[in-house]
Amino acid sequence: MRHLQKKIWLLAIVVLIIMVIIWISLTYYNQKMQDQYNQILERYLVMNELNMLSQETVASLNAYLLDPSDANFRTIERRKNRMGQLYDEVTAFRNTDNESELTNYTNLTVSLVEMTERSVNFQISGEIETAKSALNEAIHIADYVSEMRLSVIDKELRTYDIFYREMIDRSEKLTELGVWLLMTIILMLLFFTYWFSLRITKPLEKLTESAKRLSKGQFDREIEADSKDETAILAGTFEQMRININNLFIETKQKARLEAELQESKYLLKESQLLSLQSQINPHFLFNTLNTLSKKAYIEGSEETSDLLVSIADLMRYNLRHMDKPTALHEELHVLKQYIQIQKARYTDRLTFITEIDESCLGIQIPGMTLQPIVENAIIHAVEPSEDGGTILFRVRQALNHVVIEVEDNGPGMTEEKIEMLKDARAVTSEKGTGIGFKNVVQRLKLFNASDEVVDIQSKIGHGTKISLYILKERSDMTYDQSSHSG
Amino acid sequence: MRKLLILMVSAVGLFLFYFTFQAAAAVFYTDWDLPDAGEQDENVPRVVLITNETDHPFWRDVAAGAEKKAGELNVDLDVSGIYGSNTEDFLRKIEIAIYSKVDGIIVQGLDNEKFKELTKLKAASYGIPVLTVAHDVPKEESLRKTYIGSDQFEAGELLARELLEDMGTTGEVILMMDSEPEYFQRQRLEGVEHVLAGYPDIEMIEAKIGDREQGLSTVNDLLNHFPQATSFLAVNASFTEELVKEIETRRKVDPYYIYTFDEERGAYALLESGKIDGVVEQSPEDMGQLSVELMSDWLQKDSQPLDIEGYFTEVSIVKDLNGQ
Repeated sequence: MRHLQKKIWLLAIVVLIIMVIIWISLTYYNQKMQDQYNQILERYLVMNELNMLSQETVASLNAYLLDPSDANFRTIERRKNRMGQLYDEVTAFRNTDNESELTNYTNLTVSLVEMTERSVNFQISGEIETAKSALNEAIHIADYVSEMRLSVIDKELRTYDIFYREMIDRSEKLTELGVWLLMTIILMLLFFTYWFSLRITKPLEKLTESAKRLSKGQFDREIEADSKDETAILAGTFEQMRININNLFIETKQKARLEAELQESKYLLKESQLLSLQSQINPHFLFNTLNTLSKKAYIEGSEETSDLLVSIADLMRYNLRHMDKPTALHEELHVLKQYIQIQKARYTDRLTFITEIDESCLGIQIPGMTLQPIVENAIIHAVEPSEDGGTILFRVRQALNHVVIEVEDNGPGMTEEKIEMLKDARAVTSEKGTGIGFKNVVQRLKLFNASDEVVDIQSKIGHGTKISLYILKERSDMTYDQSSHSG
Repeated sequence: MRKLLILMVSAVGLFLFYFTFQAAAAVFYTDWDLPDAGEQDENVPRVVLITNETDHPFWRDVAAGAEKKAGELNVDLDVSGIYGSNTEDFLRKIEIAIYSKVDGIIVQGLDNEKFKELTKLKAASYGIPVLTVAHDVPKEESLRKTYIGSDQFEAGELLARELLEDMGTTGEVILMMDSEPEYFQRQRLEGVEHVLAGYPDIEMIEAKIGDREQGLSTVNDLLNHFPQATSFLAVNASFTEELVKEIETRRKVDPYYIYTFDEERGAYALLESGKIDGVVEQSPEDMGQLSVELMSDWLQKDSQPLDIEGYFTEVSIVKDLNGQ
């Protein structure tokens, strides 16, 4: 909290400095006044002392004349010396105004000293009477000194009259200044305090506001604090926190999306597996039963039924075995033929199934159960609704990198929207047929090929539908196998 | 709203600051109107002018003239007189001046033993030159350096001649003076007598007011004693007003020829109202000026002797201010 402390200190120091300045100037002023007073007072005191000393000198002279002892003589000498000193001091007080009075005053004291000396000398030389008359004169002079002192002080008073009046005036003005100063300081203090507190609380307020926003979950607004003190540091760290939280937030969102996608693909795989499992209900029992039925039909002379049952059994066996791993195309074709045989038994002449197969392509690997659902779709959509039945053309041919498997029918066709939906594998699985829908096939092919370019649908209303599957000749990796094994 | 507040606060602030500084300036403004300390010029001569009746127009003029000259000649003149004419106080002033060791004393001459002793012994022993102004004292008795003022003898003559002209050569002339007339009064008297001596028909009576022997304690007595008087000369001018008042209580003033000197305060007022017939006008300002000038000369050029007889200023008779 160094900065805030500094601000508070600054305020305190400003106030202190103002106080000190006022104190010093007032003290200085007071001192000056005092000096002036003292100076004037000293003048009076010194002037007065000179006068008193004059009287005392005369008194001591009188005492000496009555009793010319050494002690009295020394007293006179001492007082005379002191008068000499005071003479110098008083002479220093001379100014243009009091010059003549003061000179008269000091000269009178000099005359007094001279007269005193004369009297003493006469006394020493034995002329007592002359000494007495000199004493009388000295008394006169002391009288004059006294009188002159009055006029000197009178003059002084007149000279300093203006000064005294000004002093009184000043002290009144001082009171006035005090009032003004007080008001000014109050105003200044109020202003400074307001300013300082504003500088401290404003950033804090902003910070509080930002904190409120953050707590409401708004991480996108920047936190600002236009100060340079601790609040700025606080705001900075706060801002950093906000950025971090915001980043984490976005990251988590992305992760969640990815997770969802992954979950979906896993789910698709699981679905197909589940479907296959559903059809595994005691498969061996069903298989054996079908075989038994076939033998029974054969013994009873129904060869055709026997063959159909064999086909179904084969189909089942294949499904049981090959659902989760790639098989060769020819195997898949074999199963497809069995299926067609079964369907032929159902639709008899209404179903015409034509194959055009490039034999060189038969060795290629494809996911199990890919062809049957497509053909089944064709039968359901093209053959079943029509009374006259329909034709399904099954073609396998070479392309540059792919083997193209085409299933073409002459059914009612479908709309563009339907095509797009199928292409994107968004269509709901058909309830009819084996249940493994077109979507499932497309998804598995996509995973198998590790590419989105696996299916092409060409269709026109009333002109049939052509579905092409593209199988990569050379697959770059074996992701499909692994994922399917682990699943 | 906020702006208005800021504006108001700053206005108040400025207002306060202005008055605070104003007050501070007033308090800390240090220009004490005190006299300059110690003009230690010892060469400026200190001269004292001592007169009686300092509030008298005549003496005020003397002092004014002296001060004017003192300013010109750079002399530190101290006009120190007394109100009224108390001899004791007057002498005291002179004594103080002497003991104060002034460089020169210009004083209204006083025909008094103590005065003479002061000027002769004290002033001389302190080496202080004394000049008399307006009123002289005998030069051999006072050891004054010189006298500056009217030639009182001549003034007396002037007055007597004017009287002759107005009154003619017959009549009873009352000369009013103090019981112990001062030197300047005696000089005036001499002047008057010198002129009137040649006219046997004019009877001169020296009326010494306050003299018990003569029975003249007041001006009042004068009229009782000398009912035949035709003219009055106030040798001591201060009796004039009293005389006029006294005459007015009994009869008309007009028939009397009354002459006085301008030392009398109300002389010109009386002249204007026609109650008196002439005033001897002296030149007090010239006296003041000349005295200071001579003193200054004496102090600066010690060797140059002053005319011991005196330096006379102009004297004239003013008859009627209206020129009638």
